[in-house]
Amino acid sequence: MGKVRLWDAPVRLFHWSVVALFGALWWSGENGRIDLHKTIGLVMLGLVVFRVLWGFLGGSTARFGSFVKGPGTVFAYLRASREGKAPTIVGHNPLGGWSVLVLLGLLALQVGLGLIAQDTDAVASGPLNHFVSYDTGDAAGEAHEVVFNILLLFVALHVAAVLFYLFVKRDNLVHPMLSGHKAFTQAVEQPTFAPAWRLILSVILAAAFAGWIALGAPFSLEQAKQAWQAPPPSAEESYM
Amino acid sequence: MKKHIVLALAALAASGTVVSAIAATPAETVAARQANFKQLGRAMKAIGEELKKPAPDLGVIRTSAQSLNQAAGHVGHGFPRGSGPESGVKTEALAAIWQRPADFQGAARNLVVKARDLQTAAGGGDLNRIRTAFPAVGGACKGCHDNFRERH
Repeated sequence: MGKVRLWDAPVRLFHWSVVALFGALWWSGENGRIDLHKTIGLVMLGLVVFRVLWGFLGGSTARFGSFVKGPGTVFAYLRASREGKAPTIVGHNPLGGWSVLVLLGLLALQVGLGLIAQDTDAVASGPLNHFVSYDTGDAAGEAHEVVFNILLLFVALHVAAVLFYLFVKRDNLVHPMLSGHKAFTQAVEQPTFAPAWRLILSVILAAAFAGWIALGAPFSLEQAKQAWQAPPPSAEESYM
Repeated sequence: MKKHIVLALAALAASGTVVSAIAATPAETVAARQANFKQLGRAMKAIGEELKKPAPDLGVIRTSAQSLNQAAGHVGHGFPRGSGPESGVKTEALAAIWQRPADFQGAARNLVVKARDLQTAAGGGDLNRIRTAFPAVGGACKGCHDNFRERH
């Protein structure tokens, strides 16, 4: 009964950061601001890596293990919902869990394609472009555009679902994602939350990984130093 | 008799080649110039990667700079009238190329100059000069893409 602490701060911060970065990446990509696009893309990479780590180290409502269910459970949940007998769920419901996985997976795919993609002049390239051939980098650039459209589709579906909950089911999902709290009409099990050291560990690991990728994933200290001291020409000027 | 047929076929094939070289279809023109841009792109990628390494391979840079210089010279001739978007062939070339031909040819000449500078620098073997000449070629690419190529 009453208010329950549903989403921890890292989950909420991740969610709204993705919203902001998604918009910024869209704008910078469309307007040829390739350096800005690459920088924000690397921040997005760090966020996605963080969320994956948090899916194993975070609190109960953040964990993949708590909300990723098999198709049988999803269909049973949908059937029960239609009959108005769906159980009260603290966290993502079985279908919503898949929405999280699909959106996160598409984001990871999109970031990965951006890392190896190149423009036709081959100067405005992702930091891992040197690991792939010209043709692969070209194809990744094309796929980067296709996957973006698929992402837009799933973002639209996600927003439509939230609006459906708000206006048809009279259930505001936006407020808990902002405040972290949600009111339940019946007694529910309280979620458990992760200690601060796990948050610190996840943030450090995600940032270190994104930084390593930004340097072109060097395998020796010498390579890392070279990448650090002499940024690729594309970092100084935009060529797109 | 058989020999005559072979000869006739060979002559036919040869004439066909000549005709297509003189009057290429828009699709052929677009494909040829795209292949040329890919040659430019491959060379840019190869040089850029060498310059990111602790010990760049001058041999790779020289070969690529030569390939780049060669392709750069073809850019200005790759856009005859009728090979734009109005031809129905899928192309990112903007109509501006044919509306402002002097500007376009100026941009193409700029690429030729910058590519030649890079090849000269590569021939000299001074990495610092190469590092200055390389982004200048990139700037020439951008100078043209900004005005004459479709944004995506």
